[in-house]
Amino acid sequence: MVTVDLAQTSVRDLNQRLHDLLPGTNQRLWRVVNPKGQHSIAVGLTAPITVEVDGHAGYYCAGMNKAASVVIRGHCGVGVGENMMSGEVRVKGNASQSAGASGNGGLLVIEGDASARCGISMKGVDIVVGGSVGHLSAFMAQTGHLVVCGDAGEGLGDSIYEAVIYVQGKAHGLGADCVEKKMTPAHMKHLGGLLTRAGIKADLERFRRYGSARKLYNFHVDHADNY
Amino acid sequence: MAKPEAEIRAWLARHRSDIRVMGYGQLMEVYKDMGRPAEVMERYGVATMGGSHAIGHTRMATESAVTTEHSHPFTAAADMCLVHNGSLSNHNNLRRWLRHRGFAFETDNDSEVAARYFAYRLGEGASLAEALEAGLSDLDGFYTFTMGTRDGFAVVRDGIACKPAVLAETDDWVAMASEFRSLANLPGVERAAIWEPEPGRVYTWNLQ
Repeated sequence: MVTVDLAQTSVRDLNQRLHDLLPGTNQRLWRVVNPKGQHSIAVGLTAPITVEVDGHAGYYCAGMNKAASVVIRGHCGVGVGENMMSGEVRVKGNASQSAGASGNGGLLVIEGDASARCGISMKGVDIVVGGSVGHLSAFMAQTGHLVVCGDAGEGLGDSIYEAVIYVQGKAHGLGADCVEKKMTPAHMKHLGGLLTRAGIKADLERFRRYGSARKLYNFHVDHADNY
Repeated sequence: MAKPEAEIRAWLARHRSDIRVMGYGQLMEVYKDMGRPAEVMERYGVATMGGSHAIGHTRMATESAVTTEHSHPFTAAADMCLVHNGSLSNHNNLRRWLRHRGFAFETDNDSEVAARYFAYRLGEGASLAEALEAGLSDLDGFYTFTMGTRDGFAVVRDGIACKPAVLAETDDWVAMASEFRSLANLPGVERAAIWEPEPGRVYTWNLQ
């Protein structure tokens, strides 16, 4: 295991070392200590390594992640795992706003709560939140899954495209064109798989599914005269 | 006994118009200046100061000039100051509204309007929490505010909450910052409860 102390090394140097690793590297486990809320820790990783951050991270931690597994043993600032492509990002504490924003793939797990705009404009990432999410989560979400084991704030799934939202607790209001949909056995099975991958226990029977009513983004023949 | 504020201000205007008042009161001191934060801190010996509560602020100017007068915190009453991150869209209306109620303004800054608005509410007899609650409906725009009074400290964010804030609390202290980076070196922070203040909710603390 390689330990990097951010009290001694700059984030830029840490990230450069992580970017220089080749896919077949033997240095597969990295530990980052003294993050102290610094921004952009472990962004843009492309090697299949594990990076453990011991403490609270600042903005954009593990952003653009590809193939790597990043674990934050603390809270995260704005935009954790933003635009991630693959791999896994796991926050042991809470996450601030816009967690997983525009994520293309991979799995983002937030064991605590996430605040506003979790999964905004997500494009294929799977996000599992152990606690609750704030307002306007999954805003304009295109594909992927957002699983919320607690409650969801106001305006959930506003202007949503084809992403799927599961909420175990209460949704405090749905956004424009977001509606509740039927949970089928196929959805239950997929949800169970996501929770297992995330390592989070929940009661499958209690989840409700939300998605697009497809009235906002689809062309409707009644509007043909407008053109 | 201290001379009435108006009398002192009138004397200053007559005899020393080069002096500008940045803060006033019995307990609270305001230091504002231009320069790198570390240099300003050094210039005023902030490291040697003591007290029950403190607010630090570095301004990124968006709407008005970079001068000491336009810097935060804004003081609009004795032993009161306000720091604002954001931008108000109805500050011209509010400024006019407050002028009708006898308030004078020193800058064209929207945050000064907020400070005087809260001073007006506090002067009406509102508690710190009540003043901020009223602000939630009267102030239009986006904001994270933190306010200090002689015995209180408060934080509020607008309902959309696009301006960041983080709170940390232990048995010994409470702290607020835009981001955790600013709290990371506080003594005992590793044992603090750390959370993001909810949108549209007023948080207040009073000195015991």
